[in-house]
Amino acid sequence: MSANTEKPFKVSIPDEDIELLHKKLELARFPDELEEAGWLYGAPLADVKRLVARWKDGFDWRQSEAQINALPQFTRDIEVEGFGTLNIHYVHQRSDVEDAVPLLFIHGWPGHFLEVRKLLPLLTKSSPDHPSFHVVTFSLPGFGFSEAPQKKGFAGKQYAEVANALMNSLGYKEYVVQGGDWGHYIAGYLATHYAHVNVKGWLTNYPVALPPRLRSAPWLYLTHLFTPYTKQVKDGMARTDDFLRRGRGYAVEQSTKPQTLGYSLADSPVGLLGWMYEKLVSWADEYPWEDDEVLEWVSIYWFSRAGPGASLRIYHEMTNCFERSAVAGVKWTSVPLGCAYFAKEHGMVPRSWLGTLGRLIFESTHERGGHFAAHEQPEALAEDVRKMFGRGGPAYGVVTGKSGYV
Amino acid sequence: MAGATEQPFTLSVSDADLELLREKLELARLPDELEGAGWDYGAPLADIQRLLSHWKGAYDWRKSEAEINKLPMFTRDIDVEGFGTLNIHYVHQKSDAANAIPLLFVHGWPGHFLEVRKMLPLLTAKSPEHPSFHVVALSLPGFGFSEAPRKPGFAGRQYAEVFNKLMLALGYEEYVYQGGDWGHLLGAHVVTHYGHKHVKAWHTNMLRCHPPTLLSHPRAYISALLDTTVKAKLAYGAKWRRSGMGYMIEQSTKPQTLGYSLADSPVGLLGWIYEKLVGWSGDYPWTDDEVIEWISIYWFSRAGPAAASRIYYEMTSGNTQDPMAGTTWMSVPVGVSYFPREPVHLPKSWAPTLGKVVFESEHDKGGHFAAYEVPEKLAGDLRKMYGKGGPAHGVVSGKNGYD
Repeated sequence: MSANTEKPFKVSIPDEDIELLHKKLELARFPDELEEAGWLYGAPLADVKRLVARWKDGFDWRQSEAQINALPQFTRDIEVEGFGTLNIHYVHQRSDVEDAVPLLFIHGWPGHFLEVRKLLPLLTKSSPDHPSFHVVTFSLPGFGFSEAPQKKGFAGKQYAEVANALMNSLGYKEYVVQGGDWGHYIAGYLATHYAHVNVKGWLTNYPVALPPRLRSAPWLYLTHLFTPYTKQVKDGMARTDDFLRRGRGYAVEQSTKPQTLGYSLADSPVGLLGWMYEKLVSWADEYPWEDDEVLEWVSIYWFSRAGPGASLRIYHEMTNCFERSAVAGVKWTSVPLGCAYFAKEHGMVPRSWLGTLGRLIFESTHERGGHFAAHEQPEALAEDVRKMFGRGGPAYGVVTGKSGYV
Repeated sequence: MAGATEQPFTLSVSDADLELLREKLELARLPDELEGAGWDYGAPLADIQRLLSHWKGAYDWRKSEAEINKLPMFTRDIDVEGFGTLNIHYVHQKSDAANAIPLLFVHGWPGHFLEVRKMLPLLTAKSPEHPSFHVVALSLPGFGFSEAPRKPGFAGRQYAEVFNKLMLALGYEEYVYQGGDWGHLLGAHVVTHYGHKHVKAWHTNMLRCHPPTLLSHPRAYISALLDTTVKAKLAYGAKWRRSGMGYMIEQSTKPQTLGYSLADSPVGLLGWIYEKLVGWSGDYPWTDDEVIEWISIYWFSRAGPAAASRIYYEMTSGNTQDPMAGTTWMSVPVGVSYFPREPVHLPKSWAPTLGKVVFESEHDKGGHFAAYEVPEKLAGDLRKMYGKGGPAHGVVSGKNGYD
């Protein structure tokens, strides 16, 4: 329950913060690299050098800032049981359609609130042919421009509490959810804790769940990433295997020693850039990242309210220091669940496992697109949201009195 | 073919490098920390703040440098098949004992050549009571002041080649070997390729080996079945496996990505290594000067701090292979010392799969950095192993360790 503490918000990074960034970039010291390393050992040196050069000279943060500030942003205080009050930053864009369906979009790591950007016009647009949505997204606590929790133990239940309290405070008692990466898990926790009364349906683009019969085993964190059991699952799982063998170092470190890693990412913009850029490229489906796009993305982390170190802790807290799967606390409910499968997503489990998270009533498959679906394939994802919640769709009319149409 | 390219080496970090470090430290930006975090999330903020402050203020690199330069250090070119020439940095301290045993000491990560420092006077000292050694301690390629390989694929065989060529170039046809961490794993490789002919015996302070199987080591297999300590030993290492392996997985898979941070941020490098210095040692009373000096070796290293991480990738083929792949069991005598605060303990009954175990010793103090933490214990073990009446006495022809 929070009193109406909503304030309009504009991103406004102090000059001295921008100066400090530039001073650090001026002093950048690069590592060596093996001949013909390509992407084998991590983000290539030539790419990182080029991006740093652009960041120093050419990338205009104030221009990014002005464009970001065209979005309707706010902050408000949200109380979280046992954690006091957190000031939460969010975007709230209403549709012209009064009875638009309230939808909460949740980002993950290394994502942020701006991942909703391309979806906004698509989801809020009015049309007799598809439903419209009032869209809310927030910076997760510890990310973007939201405060970070100060105490240990801020995990699934708490993230869900913030999300639900936010929606309620905006007048949306009932709503639907869309998320990938941590947004998938938090949507699952939302369904677990606020099923039916508040959460009326959810669509994930990060299909990760535990196998039904091993659900209670405590050592199964790795299976949230994938364990191949059948030929069907083995086929086409090459990228998931690659992720497990060669792409999960960041997750192990962030789940176990986020503070240690935080010293690097808070102090070195080059280090932060390398750490994030490697994922932006390898997790996306050949997305044609422009340098300024990457730099804006990394700058959100660099200039974040709690600093880049804070955002890592979600891995530690949600897995209890790598002891169990982040999805272990998500309980099955009959809240309608949809899944959008994007071809290059590294998080993938057999469809049968996904049914452990909810009443799977919608699925779609896409030949193109990767982990950052909302950013890479906004039309495809928006189309899925429309299909699931629109007229004739399996979750049409789930929110009382909000059909999505005029 | 290594020509006589030995040069005396004086460590001399440039003023420009010192200035760059100073400027970076001045601009350091620290992360936040949760209340009551302790060591649960990594190195504590208060420790890093204190160390940063010391590094900016009281710590004197030139003083460290002058002390380091009192060690007899050299560089020389070593050819490595397929990799061209690498200029290798090493300490070479001879003993006064006429028949001192040549010993190669090999460090690991996040270690460095200075880990041998406290052992040098103990190992080279001459006495009728114990054997003496001529000690060689190199900076591994990519570490300290040795050049780094430039191409992919520099692994066990290549490290072994560097070690053996270095010892031969110094006139040591036969020698013994001591190592922990990567020094242990690389020991298995150098023994595989040069055991008996050149490497006459070796010693490790970090046992890593495979469990015995009925077919491979029937006696050890039976011993292991009867070994009541197996469960407890393996359980001890569970904590490290659960929450201490992040650095290893990242370094084995994306060392370049990590390298951007370690090369650019002295504070980041400090946090990354300090966490292991404390976490892996046995209550060693690290002074701030000691820690900063240790980190500085990495910061000022010839190839930069990122290069050192690559050993994890190359030795495991990007986390797809056991770092001991390519080694064979050899009957070259091996000694094992067990230190209580080494993060992972393997049962003693497994040791025979490493080689012909002739010496064993268990201590009540000390951790992963044994040569640095408890040098007298490690040196004591080597003296026992190679001394008169010891199980590896006289392994090196004409060099029994005494006058």
